[in-house]
Amino acid sequence: MSYVDVIDLAYTYPDGTQALHGVTLSIESGEMLSLIGQNGSGKTTLSKCLNGLLLPTSGNVVVDGHDSKSSSISDMVRRVGYVFQNPDHQLFNPTCRDEIAYGPRNIGIREPEVTERVEEAATVVGLGSEHLTEHPFFLTKGLRQRVAIAAILALRPRVIIVDEPTTGQDARQAREIMGFLTTLNREHGHTIIIITHDMDIVAAYTERILAMAKGTLIADNSAREIFSNPAIMERASLAPPQITRLAQALGDMGIHPGVLSLDEMIAAFEGS
Amino acid sequence: MSSPAIQVTDYSWKYLHSTTRAIKNIELIVQPGECLGLIGSNGSGKTTLCNSIDGLIPGQYHGIKEGRVEVFGTEVEEYRRGELQRTVGLVFSDPEAQFTAMTVEDELVFGMENLGLSISEINRRLEWVCDLADLSPLLDKPPYEISGGQKQRVALAAMLAMQPRVLILDEPTAMLDPVSRERVFAVLARLRKEREITMILIEHSLEHIIPLADRMVLLSNGRKLHEAPTRTFFSDLSLLRQEGIHLPGAVGFSGYLRESGATTDEPAISVEEAAQQARNLRGAAKGELS
Repeated sequence: MSYVDVIDLAYTYPDGTQALHGVTLSIESGEMLSLIGQNGSGKTTLSKCLNGLLLPTSGNVVVDGHDSKSSSISDMVRRVGYVFQNPDHQLFNPTCRDEIAYGPRNIGIREPEVTERVEEAATVVGLGSEHLTEHPFFLTKGLRQRVAIAAILALRPRVIIVDEPTTGQDARQAREIMGFLTTLNREHGHTIIIITHDMDIVAAYTERILAMAKGTLIADNSAREIFSNPAIMERASLAPPQITRLAQALGDMGIHPGVLSLDEMIAAFEGS
Repeated sequence: MSSPAIQVTDYSWKYLHSTTRAIKNIELIVQPGECLGLIGSNGSGKTTLCNSIDGLIPGQYHGIKEGRVEVFGTEVEEYRRGELQRTVGLVFSDPEAQFTAMTVEDELVFGMENLGLSISEINRRLEWVCDLADLSPLLDKPPYEISGGQKQRVALAAMLAMQPRVLILDEPTAMLDPVSRERVFAVLARLRKEREITMILIEHSLEHIIPLADRMVLLSNGRKLHEAPTRTFFSDLSLLRQEGIHLPGAVGFSGYLRESGATTDEPAISVEEAAQQARNLRGAAKGELS
């Protein structure tokens, strides 16, 4: 059994919209992967099923041995955390300290440990003590995103799902956020699931891709394999990174269609 | 000679409560019909500069202005109230910020009614923007019930219906998924082909800005660091790398070929051009061997 097992999951919203059907997948502890697909493909619904906010219409979600149907939400959210795309949709406390403490307090953690968890989470995301007393809305978007992640970290979930972490960020900020998520994965052992439309981010930071379309999982493979498969990319209505498309345009020169970075492209060209 | 669409002369702006100037001694000329791509990291002054051209600065913000910002030869502060906003249309990344009506059709018509246009003219323009942005199936829907990509096309169409001579787009696709993003850029490309409109486009994705922009400007820390026609802009990549700008794969690869001395061609700025450069080099190598 893996840390996360999703078995033949289907979810239909109360208005009759079938958002997921026949989704089966496993995620091991310590993986870093991306979840891609068009808006409406079911990425967010799947995320909400993983952390127990939504219960399967049929099928099962089992995290760390806990089936979401027979576990409390607090059991699920302390194992799978979800960071919203827009941190402002998640932040509502008057200080960053209260914001980060809110989750642990809510699942019944006692005060001395809450303080300990706040300090720990703030340190991990690089928020100084001067920030903890500030109102989150006076921080930059990059820092607000860190507060949002810290608020999830304080619940100490093994799995963290981050929805579009780089939207609206410039290239340098995007690299900084992705570097930080990589650190959480490599040094703190968190399983990280990135929901993103940015295929450059997918290629640079994650080895495994879950691709969704119309409520089903259409591919579960490496970035290299998925980007070199035009049929899957078309079904997901996505285009590979520009460097991969360049490699594919030069396929007749013997360049591999799964090139993922400029360095790989240069090596492939020099070897052609 | 007619005046430029936009002429910015030794312009600086400091927000009232800030200690440093957000814009520092900017010089910029945009000719009528030209599309200018404006790039730079967050906080580099892109939005401040655009808001200065639309008159939001100094109109809606307190601060200290130095230098001149002229639109079609007239300083922005000398325009009569409302007249500048008729000339310069602004589209933001958050389309909901501009919605006021209960149906898409009312949203599209609202601005035109405010301009006092005749019903026949309103209908003519409505037909044009619906066709341009593919909105006919949505006319009866409430703007808040349609998808993000559709919302942004409505926001853009509502602005275009007022036929501003200058259109400023501030990260118009930042919130959109790839398919919706392509559709918005397709609308802009078609618009440029069909009408003479002056455009300033702020966008982090160089891949999307390159096919539209005639000229590019890089802002950093309130200053203009680099300006050139789009292709020439990528002749020297060191400055862009130093500023942490993410280069599209084709531009990066062509840069490698040029920097390594393999080619003396101009920079390639699309996948097709970069592929052709690579092919030419391999073709040349084979020719030498035979």
